Amino acid sequence: MKKAMLAGILSLLIATSLTSCNKKNVKPGDVAGYDAGETYISMWVHTIEDTPEGEAYKESVEAFNEKYDGQYFADVEFIPRNDSGGGYSDKINASVMSGDLPDVITVDGPNVAAYASNNIIQPLADLTDEERSAYLDSIIDQGTYNGKLYALGAMESSVGLYYNKDILEEAGIEVPDADHPWTFSEFSEILEQLKPLMEEKNGYPLDMTFPVGETSIYYYAPFIWSNGGDFVSEDGLTVDGIFNSPENASVLEYFRSFVDNGYMSEAPIDKLFESGRAAFKFDGAWEVNTIYESYPDINLGVAPYIVSDNWDGGRYTPTGSWAYAATSKATDLEAATELVKWMSGVDSGIRLFEKTKNMPSTYEAYESIDLFEEDENYKALYEQLRDYGHPRPHTPVYPQVSTSFQQALESVGLSGKDAQEELDKSVERIDAKLKRYVR
Amino acid sequence: MNMKKNRSTSLLGMAFFGPALVLLILFLFLPMLLTLVFSFTDYFALNPDLTHFVGLENYFTIFKDDLFLAAFWNTVKFVIIIVPAQCIGALVLALLINKVTICKKYFKVAFFIPVVMSLAVVSSLWMQIYSPEGILNTMLGYLGIDAQPFIYSASQALPSIAIMSVWQGVGYQMIIFLGGLQAINPALYEAAEMDHASGWQKFKDITLPELKPLCVFVFITVTIGAFRMIVQPMVMTGGGPSHSTYTLVYDIYETGTVNWEIGLASSMAIVFTLFVVVLTIIQTILTKDKEDKDARKKTKTR
Repeated sequence: MKKAMLAGILSLLIATSLTSCNKKNVKPGDVAGYDAGETYISMWVHTIEDTPEGEAYKESVEAFNEKYDGQYFADVEFIPRNDSGGGYSDKINASVMSGDLPDVITVDGPNVAAYASNNIIQPLADLTDEERSAYLDSIIDQGTYNGKLYALGAMESSVGLYYNKDILEEAGIEVPDADHPWTFSEFSEILEQLKPLMEEKNGYPLDMTFPVGETSIYYYAPFIWSNGGDFVSEDGLTVDGIFNSPENASVLEYFRSFVDNGYMSEAPIDKLFESGRAAFKFDGAWEVNTIYESYPDINLGVAPYIVSDNWDGGRYTPTGSWAYAATSKATDLEAATELVKWMSGVDSGIRLFEKTKNMPSTYEAYESIDLFEEDENYKALYEQLRDYGHPRPHTPVYPQVSTSFQQALESVGLSGKDAQEELDKSVERIDAKLKRYVR
Repeated sequence: MNMKKNRSTSLLGMAFFGPALVLLILFLFLPMLLTLVFSFTDYFALNPDLTHFVGLENYFTIFKDDLFLAAFWNTVKFVIIIVPAQCIGALVLALLINKVTICKKYFKVAFFIPVVMSLAVVSSLWMQIYSPEGILNTMLGYLGIDAQPFIYSASQALPSIAIMSVWQGVGYQMIIFLGGLQAINPALYEAAEMDHASGWQKFKDITLPELKPLCVFVFITVTIGAFRMIVQPMVMTGGGPSHSTYTLVYDIYETGTVNWEIGLASSMAIVFTLFVVVLTIIQTILTKDKEDKDARKKTKTR
């Protein structure tokens, strides 16, 4: 009797462990909507089903299954993640080892290079020129590694240099047009001019921090690019002489001048800009919606992202977001590519914007959303993205590059350490990680 | 007959123990063993196929890594602040509550509530408290003290987080001590009172020796808890500013999940485990020795 019980428990355990391994063999009829004759495409996305983002993905998948009824069937699985991307990437890592990756996954833009160079994702089936040209340049650029297109963005993103119109008007400062942004030295002069006024308001000219995590490189890489600097070589495998170039050191010193001259608070103050106590703030495109909904008293404007005095007019503004890619396990690449195109396409982009206000990845989506024509701030963000968007560095050691930049920025900007020394230290650390790819 | 009975009880025992054993092996012993194995390889999460055996290379690498060493010292600093503060704090609170006659339940609950709350929630609350225009700085302002940066300064962040952790954890040890205090035979105090012992003498010669086994337990659990510090810096400072609150476990997490270096992270975890084990053994030996000595002393004087 007891033996039987024990055997029962054991067999139950074995059974559960077996079923969890055998998930990939889905037969027609196992999943509602999957009929005989259809190609089954499994897909993971990085959010849970109940968020507005999750809902948008779900609707897009349903639309896909409807359109390709009888040909393809996409089965989406929602995987929760924390702010730093934890849960989702853990799941991907575990599946890389166990070999049960789905056919299509979402990848955060900067990780495309690492996933591609480790053969987790494979190049998409060829797109026609027309299909390619539907996407913003920054999207194609983000998804390309070593000349091959691996991923198409579910959405695009942008960072704005926001200003308080009332404050700038009070100080008599004119905002330039998108093609003639303020240079570093002009911006410093403006901050200097605003300082006494902002002190009166118990604030600072600039609401700015160097936060830990991806934010710092995302917001402040344009300072590096517009100054003629970069983070990694073209192939993503060299950093010495690039990451620690004198140009980059001078940019870090420029950030230091914000703190030294009291243009920004050394310790972050909550809602400085939102409470009308700062004239400028760098923040993601979502800030526009936040201000409109929660701080209607703020008279918001978007100024062109500032550039170095040595700017050559090239692309430099922040971009990048989650993208779809076909994994190396995808057997039917045509089908997977079809799903990737659909999920990153016009309709999906519009749906996502309506639910989440995340910026779309295709030109047509922008043209069909009135807000990007009617609202000057959304319009400015779109035009900045379209004309000047620059993807983050393509390198398999991106996480190290990103954290190193943040650390150097913090050490120099806040703690006043020597810029060149900090950058050299970063190069050593990144090189240690690059060893894996160059040996 | 007897043997048969033995076998059936052992079978029954296995039936109860079996599932737990299977789960323990699957989710504790196997991962521990794998961690040890991985620590000798260059296992990279994104490309497991390229794993090589690298011997002790990882161990040399981490001891040459400034960041790992910094994280190590930060962790030690946390332990040095948290362990005495939390142990003594818990004891003092327990003694006070034991003395209080009114609202005893209220105080017990009040000090225990932070333990029940999620660390992430407590950390976010304290971010508000520590913020440049937060409640603490406002109060300091009334006292005529300039606003302090707290978690935004490299020199103050670590102590600030340590103090918050003590506040969060102290209630748990307090309840343990309280239980111990209530278990002390009141006759001991009555006898001492007859001998006109002072309050301090009663505490020193009755309360402390009676609580001794609990003290050892609390001391060791608090130490291990302090070593495992990660949530508070992760939520409040992200390990900054300038890595001043970057802890060992945080480094293991970053190396393993953000940078995908499972091999390196595994060897860090092994070093960390060894260190905690060695420290715990030292603690146990030290506290035990004293007990023996005390016992010997007592027999001598007798």
